[in-house]
Amino acid sequence: MVQIDLAEVTVRQANELIRKYGAQGEDIDIVNPDARHHIGVGLTDAITVRVHGSAGYFCAGLTDAARFEVKNNVGWGLGDNMYSGSVVVGGNASAIAGVAIRGAEIVIRGNMGSRAGQVMKAGTLLCGGNANFMAGYLMYGGRIIILGDSGERVGEDMAGGEIYVGGEVQSLGSDAKMGDSEGAEIDDIRAFLERYEISYKGGFQKIVNEGKKLHYKTSEQQMRSIPFVAFSGKSDYWNPKIQEDIHIKSQIGRYRVRGYGGARELPHLSDITFARDISNLNDISDPVSKVEMHTLIGGKHGATPLDLSMPVMIAPMSYGALSRSTKQAIGMASSLAGIAENTGEGGMSDAQRDAAKQLIFQCLGGRLGWNIHDMKRANGLEIYISQGAKPGFGGQLMAKKVTKELAEIRGIPQGIDLRSPSRHPDILGGDDLLIKVEELREATGYKLPISVKLGAGRIRDDIKIAYKDGFDFVELDGMQGSTGAGGAEVMEYVGIPTISAIMDALDGLAEIDAADDIQIILMGGLRDGVDAVKSLCLGANAVAFGNATIVAGGCISCMQCHVGQCVTGIATQDPEHEKRYRPEIEAHNIHRFLESVRWQIAALTQALGYDDVKSLNRDDLVALTPEAAVITRLPYRPDLRERQPLVEAV
Amino acid sequence: MCGIAGIMFKNGRNDHETGMALIDMLDGCQHRGRDSTGFALYGEEHRNELKLRFLVGEGAAANESEALIKTALETHDAEIVEDKRVGNTYQALVKFDGDLRSFAYAMEHAAPDAKVISIGQSLDIVKDVGSAHDVDDRFHVHEFKGSHGLGHVRLATESDVRPESAHPFWATGFSDVAIVHNGQITNYWKMRRRLEQRDFEFRTDNDSELVAVYLADKMANGVALREALKDSIEDLDGTFSFLVSTKDEIGYAKDRLAAKPMVMYENDDLIVIASEEVSLNRLFPGQALNTKEPPPGSYDTWSKST
Repeated sequence: MVQIDLAEVTVRQANELIRKYGAQGEDIDIVNPDARHHIGVGLTDAITVRVHGSAGYFCAGLTDAARFEVKNNVGWGLGDNMYSGSVVVGGNASAIAGVAIRGAEIVIRGNMGSRAGQVMKAGTLLCGGNANFMAGYLMYGGRIIILGDSGERVGEDMAGGEIYVGGEVQSLGSDAKMGDSEGAEIDDIRAFLERYEISYKGGFQKIVNEGKKLHYKTSEQQMRSIPFVAFSGKSDYWNPKIQEDIHIKSQIGRYRVRGYGGARELPHLSDITFARDISNLNDISDPVSKVEMHTLIGGKHGATPLDLSMPVMIAPMSYGALSRSTKQAIGMASSLAGIAENTGEGGMSDAQRDAAKQLIFQCLGGRLGWNIHDMKRANGLEIYISQGAKPGFGGQLMAKKVTKELAEIRGIPQGIDLRSPSRHPDILGGDDLLIKVEELREATGYKLPISVKLGAGRIRDDIKIAYKDGFDFVELDGMQGSTGAGGAEVMEYVGIPTISAIMDALDGLAEIDAADDIQIILMGGLRDGVDAVKSLCLGANAVAFGNATIVAGGCISCMQCHVGQCVTGIATQDPEHEKRYRPEIEAHNIHRFLESVRWQIAALTQALGYDDVKSLNRDDLVALTPEAAVITRLPYRPDLRERQPLVEAV
Repeated sequence: MCGIAGIMFKNGRNDHETGMALIDMLDGCQHRGRDSTGFALYGEEHRNELKLRFLVGEGAAANESEALIKTALETHDAEIVEDKRVGNTYQALVKFDGDLRSFAYAMEHAAPDAKVISIGQSLDIVKDVGSAHDVDDRFHVHEFKGSHGLGHVRLATESDVRPESAHPFWATGFSDVAIVHNGQITNYWKMRRRLEQRDFEFRTDNDSELVAVYLADKMANGVALREALKDSIEDLDGTFSFLVSTKDEIGYAKDRLAAKPMVMYENDDLIVIASEEVSLNRLFPGQALNTKEPPPGSYDTWSKST
């Protein structure tokens, strides 16, 4: 047994000691905790940690197998994302106790704060006193036992699991109902109570999901095959797209969902060109060997940075929206190209981890597939706030794609129309976000870069928060970004174009004199190396390709990604469809595309007179349209519109 | 985006180390915001007098502002008892017994580059950019003794990092009312226009100023602080946890979604409230406190004499 005095050492030092002694199987006593945050975070050894006093936020968070005993109170997010093990709290717990747990046993002898058990997947959360507002909010599974009163709106939007209440059920949440409990369930609860030496003789009322909101009432009929060109092109006012839209809405009576990218004309990188004549492009031989493209991303706070062979990454896309084989192919291609891949929502598969040499693990509000073990084997961690295609909305995965295997990795019921939460349980402002970032750093020993994914909205403000909250870099996603499924109107009418996003971000940072202090990865409808170079000239440190890699890997752009029956085996979880996809072959197709990007970046950099991509700058660009000129403040040069299109030249 | 703190000693005496207590509590939650820090401190009550604090900046512009303020005080029959310049502030104690609201608005407009931070018989607001210790170094908050007070650390989001954007906010036009707020009032413009139609003036676009004016207006119309807080939960939309103080009382309100943290500890001698328990523990190191978290949609008040 080892004693750690928090009056003497910092929490960071304490956590290092806990992990060190944990590996040796030593139990730990923490004295003078004084409600400090992040005690024990990231521990994965089966030891006992006794906290002699009160603990702060995220006590026992992101742990597996350990037993925690806290004598008094705990702050927000007790046992965040625990896999197994237990926590016993002698006093009260603050908000979101048991958030996102995947199997632990959490016992709070006193009362618990609001939104307890939010997005929990499995395990038991017991409260000896009264619960507060919205216990079991958005829970997917597991059980909550409340010996006192339930609090208002218990079980709000729960998708699965059970809530047992000994006292009064004060009011039921949306899509929750009273259920019948069987003798065996109650026997099991009594055995649990006995194990934790809690005497309670009363009965229980049970609350379960009512099932009214797990599926769209009417499923959406398939679109007619309208080629993307017709879908997005300029045509008459009542064009085929509009007509079809009205036809389908007249059947389903709600907004429509579709996949793929935005189809509305917006100011974009194609409205910008290079200031100087670059007709010398074709004379450049082997530019790749002549241009320095090596880029390090995310080392600012002492973490091991991502090491990119060129300023390019793969944009976050989920296993779920995409098939396992597709994620594997993209991972392989990223390794072949020497760049980084990103898990997107929904967890990390072994196939993806093995395929990608550098992999960013994304943390979303539903914490679907998020866990300490995959965090530890990631090369970077990323907190998703929103995405360019549908800023402010969570992911959508229609029932067809929520297969048994997929449901298991995400920890959710199989076959529901999954609408992922649009908010994080524990991030309701920049102040909470900062404490969350610190939790992730504590859990991984400050070794990994931590980024934030921002869909372009009020970027001028948001990027300042990202900087102040200590992120290593920002993945900035414009409105032209694609998605596996999103509300059709949202995709086309909500958000900020990619070129506006980068300008707002740079302006925001300049306002607080932090222009070079946080790296920006720009994405959102980037199609080739030309777009990449323009982005770098505007001020991005690197770019990311999402949809372009999908298209390179065989996508036929039918816009039916949400349906789940993708004929190419990309946007599907159906094994019959997926077997059409051959990851080894597509990995090479994607890789060849990425090499074309590399060549274009190198050739353009040379043509612009530099031998290092870091030399690219705003003076290399001019705007071709008045809109782009206003947005980017570049010189307006309509006379250059007739110049040979660059894509052909390169 | 911030951390808040409040303390009240119950015995009604003005000799408690409230400045030091608030510095400790804010240092404990400084991680919630490092852009600016501020204090609302209630000391000895100056009957028939008012304490005024202006932000005037430094150098020649500050001298000019000070001169203009002095002229305006004279115009409004406010006789200076004592005054001084500390850092970027000009502070004056004046004899005044006229209508406070019109006087306060006149002071707001006394000098184009000066801003009123607080007016009160016992209230002093001290706020500036930097941490709790930075602000203490400039204004010697630790020397302050009193009966109660509020504190705030800020992570600036929408508005700039400037001393006048720091909290606490004084209820513009009302003496001795201060507020610290963590959250966002989403019906801000609707509520503000309603008050502006009744000739209230706002010095900033910060939603916390609105909360202060909203409550002070109610109290000026004879509504007790407790009732005003109750109404605020109905009238204000958004996510918020705020603390409010007057000459004799301290109170809190928390929104119905309970999205912003707040925890409190009370014993026979004092009540302390903060965003996080770690701040409360700064006053009671090594002790596990029997704290309480206020439920969603709740409010409460405490007064000096009880």
